[in-house]
Amino acid sequence: MYLESPFSICIRRKEQIMYKIVRRKVLRPTVIQLEVEAPLVARKAKPGQFIILRVDEEGERIPLTVAGVNPDEGTVKIIFQVVGATTEMLKHVPEGGYIQDFVGPLGNATETEGINKVCIVGGGVGCAIAMPVAQEFHRLGADVTSIIGFRSEDLVILEDEFNECSNKLIVMTDDGTYGRQGNVTVPLDEMLSAGEKFDMIITIGPLVMMKFVTLTAKKYDAPITVSMSPIMIDGTGMCGGCRLTVHTEEGDKMKFACVDGPDFNGYEVDFDEAISRGRMYFDYERHAHEETCNLYKMAENA
Amino acid sequence: MALDPKKHEMPAQDPQVRAHNFDEVALGYTEEMAVSEAQRCLNCKNKPCVSGCPVNVNIPDFIMKIKEKDYEGAYQIINKTSSLPAVCGRVCPQETQCEAKCTMGVKFEPVGIGRLERYVADWHNENAKEKAQAPESNGHKVAIVGSGPSGLTCAGDLAKKGYKVSVFEALHTAGGVLVYGIPEFRLPKAIVAREVEGLKDLGVDVETNVIIGKTLTVDELFDMGYEAVFIGSGAGLPSFMNIPGESLKGVYSANEYLTRSNLMKAFRDDPRTPIMKGGKVAVVGGGNVAMDAARTALRLGAEHVYIVYRRSMEELPARAEEVEHAKEEGIDFRLLNNPVEILGYNNPDDPRDPKNGFVTGIRCIRMELGEPDASGRRRPVPIEGSEFELDVDAVIMAIGTSPNPLIKNTTAGLEVNRRGGIVVNEDGLTSREAVYAGGDAVTGAATVISAMGAGKLAAASIDKYLSSK
Repeated sequence: MYLESPFSICIRRKEQIMYKIVRRKVLRPTVIQLEVEAPLVARKAKPGQFIILRVDEEGERIPLTVAGVNPDEGTVKIIFQVVGATTEMLKHVPEGGYIQDFVGPLGNATETEGINKVCIVGGGVGCAIAMPVAQEFHRLGADVTSIIGFRSEDLVILEDEFNECSNKLIVMTDDGTYGRQGNVTVPLDEMLSAGEKFDMIITIGPLVMMKFVTLTAKKYDAPITVSMSPIMIDGTGMCGGCRLTVHTEEGDKMKFACVDGPDFNGYEVDFDEAISRGRMYFDYERHAHEETCNLYKMAENA
Repeated sequence: MALDPKKHEMPAQDPQVRAHNFDEVALGYTEEMAVSEAQRCLNCKNKPCVSGCPVNVNIPDFIMKIKEKDYEGAYQIINKTSSLPAVCGRVCPQETQCEAKCTMGVKFEPVGIGRLERYVADWHNENAKEKAQAPESNGHKVAIVGSGPSGLTCAGDLAKKGYKVSVFEALHTAGGVLVYGIPEFRLPKAIVAREVEGLKDLGVDVETNVIIGKTLTVDELFDMGYEAVFIGSGAGLPSFMNIPGESLKGVYSANEYLTRSNLMKAFRDDPRTPIMKGGKVAVVGGGNVAMDAARTALRLGAEHVYIVYRRSMEELPARAEEVEHAKEEGIDFRLLNNPVEILGYNNPDDPRDPKNGFVTGIRCIRMELGEPDASGRRRPVPIEGSEFELDVDAVIMAIGTSPNPLIKNTTAGLEVNRRGGIVVNEDGLTSREAVYAGGDAVTGAATVISAMGAGKLAAASIDKYLSSK
């Protein structure tokens, strides 16, 4: 059953509305960019918003942030890293193929009002989300500093795109195989300690990274926005799975990332709780990914 | 002929068996049972039962048709006023509606109206071969927001009158709460799908993956040529208790838990969408949603399931039949208990322990009933020092919802009340011209049939408005 479905949906367009992969580009072996035909979403989506997709009729719903839109063509760009069963299946949908569901735009657009000097800190595939935000600030005439970090050279993506929209770009790798070695917090700390002032720091990436970027900003009282992407199902506020705790002056509050976010004041987010919640299905996900990979391998060898 | 004082028992799966499968619990009357039950109807002149039905199904007339064994005739009578008979026959709280008004019920058990309705609807679905025909178009376009019971009813009523109706659904499958909320064992999804197909036969377009308030706004619907809009967007955001521990892993809203199982099919053996299975589960709340969540947990393999409810059995708002079924299946009712904290695992020596942050138990306090509150129910008051703990692996919060703000936030001039519900007048009209609303988006969490009643009312108002335009 599983062998059949991932492949069949790619070739056959069913009677019902499905969503065509107009262009597909492999950015890195495990990082893929898709442009999906979804005119209604393309017309509306703003930087910072996300979509939810299902690969096939049996698929789970996964949220992915919009990496760009082409309203004239009616396409929406998404960039994803293969991390689990669903992204593994999505990787196997070819250009010209179809996916079952694609809905959005969800969440609120990133706030740009009154921000003239911004520092964008992206980590890993989070850079795909950070890129349209950086582009939007650039378009609005803001001074954009971008710090993008990756595990190693073979995962570096979107350097050219960031170069085009940033007044200053710093590329970091954990292992030093490309750009500067170290975490994204290193150059941020250097700039802030040298007295650089940003109207806003916006960070998008793994939770642990965003937590430490927030701690760095806090040292200098710098304002910071973090983009949360928790586990969710519907993306419209119905399931409450995406809830997180924010610590405010009036006490702790429960927020839903899908309708209240995905952007939050970094100082207020309970990162440890969010990290813990993000691992709820860790064992299940790892197992499901392995199973899916095995099925694709079997199909290739058959 | 002497009247049978009792209604015919509904055949059902054995509780021990059904507690481990997702097949429908109630099996439905046989023809013999249906005809015999129909004989119990006195065919009263004043038809008190009809006044108990939110959509005013002509109950005695359809029951008379069953007596004559004219089941299609019976179906056509129901179909005149109800768009979803197979659904209503299964999930309506008949004991507080039509059956509560039944004359037989004064001395004996009322006629099993819901069971007869289900029989007729199932007979029709099984035997009627002819597809409904789309009536001639009257040239008017109406948009319906949400494909739950209110939206489907409104769509059906308008389509039958010749309106060109489009239904917009945020999720990937039409049906709203009938699909994501009510479990398979109570309402098979094939039945909902058939009702939706029936609407499509009438010419209704169903557009899934469109979120009104995001993908399109209400104002854009008017720009697109729709002349009236009905908002039936449903209940919305799940409520939590605001007690410590609600963010632990293993705490679900009933919405999330039921959506994972029902819509995303997590109940299957090898699901793509995960859900916690097995262990001990506490469901907090006493409504139909709480019963659905508890019985789902059992079927997903839980070894023990508690219902934790702060009032007593008398105040429990769930349908009597659901409570009865839950008890038979072995759900453990812990009444007059209120949760004060959810407890989680935390290994102080190893912050990376994979068990950290998972639910281990729930701390409750015993309650007693005090003076009646504003709702007329006796207010539960905590008994000081009576806290105790239940060991559980998952906690499901089924304590209600608050309306979804997406449409309110993107529709200028749409008035909502203090609780966020859309304000409507007696015709179902909102504060915006040509925008109508009904169902949980207006009332907060209520029943399928009351939502259908609201959809029906709005359809009549929209028809009146557009035909006089």
